[in-house]
Amino acid sequence: MRRHLMPWMLGGALLLAGATTAEPLRYAEDRAPPIVNPLFTTTMSEARLAELVFEGLFTDDAKLSSTPRLATGLDLAEDRMSAVVRLKPGVTWQDGESFTAEDVAFTVAAMKEESTASTERGRVQFIQEVEVIDDLTVKLTFEREEYAPEDKLHFKVLPAHRFEGTAVKRSDAFRTQPIGTGPYRVKRFNDDNSITLAKFDQYHDSTRIDEITMREVADKNYQSKLLLYESLEALVRVLPRDLATLQADRKVELYPYQTNSWWYVGFQNNRAPFDDERVREALTLLVDIDALLAPIGTGEVVSGPFVTSSPYYNHEVKRPKPDARKAAELLTAAGFAKSGDYWSRDGKPLTLKLTAQENLETAQDVVIALQSQLQSQGIKVEPTFLGTAEWKAKVWRERDFDAVLSQWSFDRSEDVTEQFHSEGKFNFGHYANAEVDALLDQAKDTSDPQAKKALLREVHAKVADDHPMIFLWTLDSYSAISRRVRKVVIHPFYFFTWSREWELK
Amino acid sequence: MLRTLLGRAVLTVSSLVAAATAVQLLLWAAPGDPIDLLPNGAELRPQLEAEWGLDQPVWMRVVTNLGRAATGELGTSLSYRPGTPVTEVLAQPALNSFALLIASLVLALAWSAGLAAFTRGRRQHTSRLVRTLSVAPVFLLAHLCIHGLNEVTWSLMEAGTIARPAWFALPGEASAMRTALAVVLLAVGSGALADMHREAEQALISIRRSGFVDAARARGEPTFLLVARHLTLPLASLAAARTGFLLGGLVVVEKVLLINGAGAILWQAALLRDVPVALGITLMAATTVCAARLAADALRVGIDPRLRSQA
Repeated sequence: MRRHLMPWMLGGALLLAGATTAEPLRYAEDRAPPIVNPLFTTTMSEARLAELVFEGLFTDDAKLSSTPRLATGLDLAEDRMSAVVRLKPGVTWQDGESFTAEDVAFTVAAMKEESTASTERGRVQFIQEVEVIDDLTVKLTFEREEYAPEDKLHFKVLPAHRFEGTAVKRSDAFRTQPIGTGPYRVKRFNDDNSITLAKFDQYHDSTRIDEITMREVADKNYQSKLLLYESLEALVRVLPRDLATLQADRKVELYPYQTNSWWYVGFQNNRAPFDDERVREALTLLVDIDALLAPIGTGEVVSGPFVTSSPYYNHEVKRPKPDARKAAELLTAAGFAKSGDYWSRDGKPLTLKLTAQENLETAQDVVIALQSQLQSQGIKVEPTFLGTAEWKAKVWRERDFDAVLSQWSFDRSEDVTEQFHSEGKFNFGHYANAEVDALLDQAKDTSDPQAKKALLREVHAKVADDHPMIFLWTLDSYSAISRRVRKVVIHPFYFFTWSREWELK
Repeated sequence: MLRTLLGRAVLTVSSLVAAATAVQLLLWAAPGDPIDLLPNGAELRPQLEAEWGLDQPVWMRVVTNLGRAATGELGTSLSYRPGTPVTEVLAQPALNSFALLIASLVLALAWSAGLAAFTRGRRQHTSRLVRTLSVAPVFLLAHLCIHGLNEVTWSLMEAGTIARPAWFALPGEASAMRTALAVVLLAVGSGALADMHREAEQALISIRRSGFVDAARARGEPTFLLVARHLTLPLASLAAARTGFLLGGLVVVEKVLLINGAGAILWQAALLRDVPVALGITLMAATTVCAARLAADALRVGIDPRLRSQA
């Protein structure tokens, strides 16, 4: 009898060891998402939560290529002006209703609706018309030729039956009662600002972790402590100064990932003396970027507006090396002379009023190092740190600055039009170059990936040549996750895209 | 009596109006508004300015909000919890903060009265110790306590000396330990205990030296209840005076100890320029301070027969 029991006991033990538990996976955000509606995503914390609750027609696979999620595939017309998307059968919303083509049509209409004022509107501008063919088939007509429309069909689909019309408001009840098709449903918003998500039992795919809790921990330093104390299982982004401590902890695993973000010091190109390209170039040549980067982490110095791993990065454009002699020549040519400790013109020292965001990680360290470098070269630096609201008002709206230290983050499209087109809404530094405008317009109009690559590489070269900003670096990013969480693969932008495979032991 | 009541009513209303006006002016004067915080804020500005009344001059916004608040309408949150009624946003956190306030006030009064009875102007070492303990700012004490406590507990857990306590390092979740810590810190930190002890001690000495206590002592009657009864009045005034001070401390303590209270929300609302939420919290805080003053007055009238006869 004992002999017969042994294999069963052993099997049972193995099963138990491999089984997932009902314990929640807890991760931290600086600030809890105020609303959960992907039409109005304003912060990364909202985007990460939306990734767990909602799904798009397509998503990224592990190689960041598009793979069907709510779709089973698409047939692109020969003229590339339309595509028929076949939807996955048997998908239900978290309230039990069936997912149909009407939901896709509604989502596109709601995103395009003027009065909705969706922050995601740009993602569907390429779609001219949506035609529902049947419950599981939808035809999309495009504004212009599309070569890989699946790459643009990642936007989250919303349930049409939960809205009264396509004019959706941020304040609609859906913000706190979100319904998606994703692996997790919002179980409750807790009094402590945390949000509990429970596994969606009728999910059309598999998922292994039963519950996920988003915890609001405003103090970033305390976040890593909580991970070490086993009060959290995942930290989305580790501060560079915490890397060594977390690396040394045997219960935590660090996961490096590449982000499409780069740091820069942007000049106000229409304000003297920074309207003079020679001054901007001279300042660029006076900065030792490697020395700035070293204390705050590891990464790669960039020479233009793309990350080095981007297909649009122009590797022929060399990053500027510090060159004090050439900088002096340029400043002299621009009418400056070294008098005393500082470069001056008309009796006024060359002063860089540098504005940075308070909550940009390690910005303070960079500003202090930059100040020290430039002051030693005769440039006066006056730093100012602004809170988010003040930053948005001064820099984004009023564009009232000499120079800003900041970073841009992009999704897979890496569209820099708004940053460098003379009419771009994020072109705060008033950079203007007709050739760059034309190249960006052409890149936007073309759907041919090769042509787009060539055009944007040229943009890289021309922008680097104009020095509208000092391009700094793309930082290596790390997530820290408890070793109790297995099979972890992290999406560099949305974090939870592949969390269905994660297991919590 | 009527004049006193009228005077108090005028003082209360003017305090509420002043606090509500001041917080609005401060937030409107600060650079940036809730629309700036939206990624497509520039595009939405005309629509949202009209919807939220931001296209009106500042004085009109202030007057409109005051008028609405007078009818009990606090509006909806703009950026902290967009679209959620302020009353809903604040219901639970305000209760949490109120409980913390009352508990810390009671604790501070009890400790200061107890210490005053012990020192009575004589035990200088004890008074000095109280001053030393109490002099540290609340935020510093809170950081030291929470991190010190966590580190020590974690070391003991790692060494296998203790099992993981339920309260340990859980952000947000209700925790008796963190609540107790907040109450103690508020009652002690930023000079609270030292100030209250000093004032309670002075009141106690003055009462003990008064003629009616000497008379009672001469008659051989016990003086404890007599002194305690007369000490109630200065303690009530002290409590009323300290309420506003403790409310200020709540903002810091709730933020550091990750307690979901109105103070922590006020901090966020100010950063996010959410005027309705900030206004709601300010009005609640001002009402609490005014109510504490009125309660202290009522207690004085109730206890002191001379005040009743004057009335």
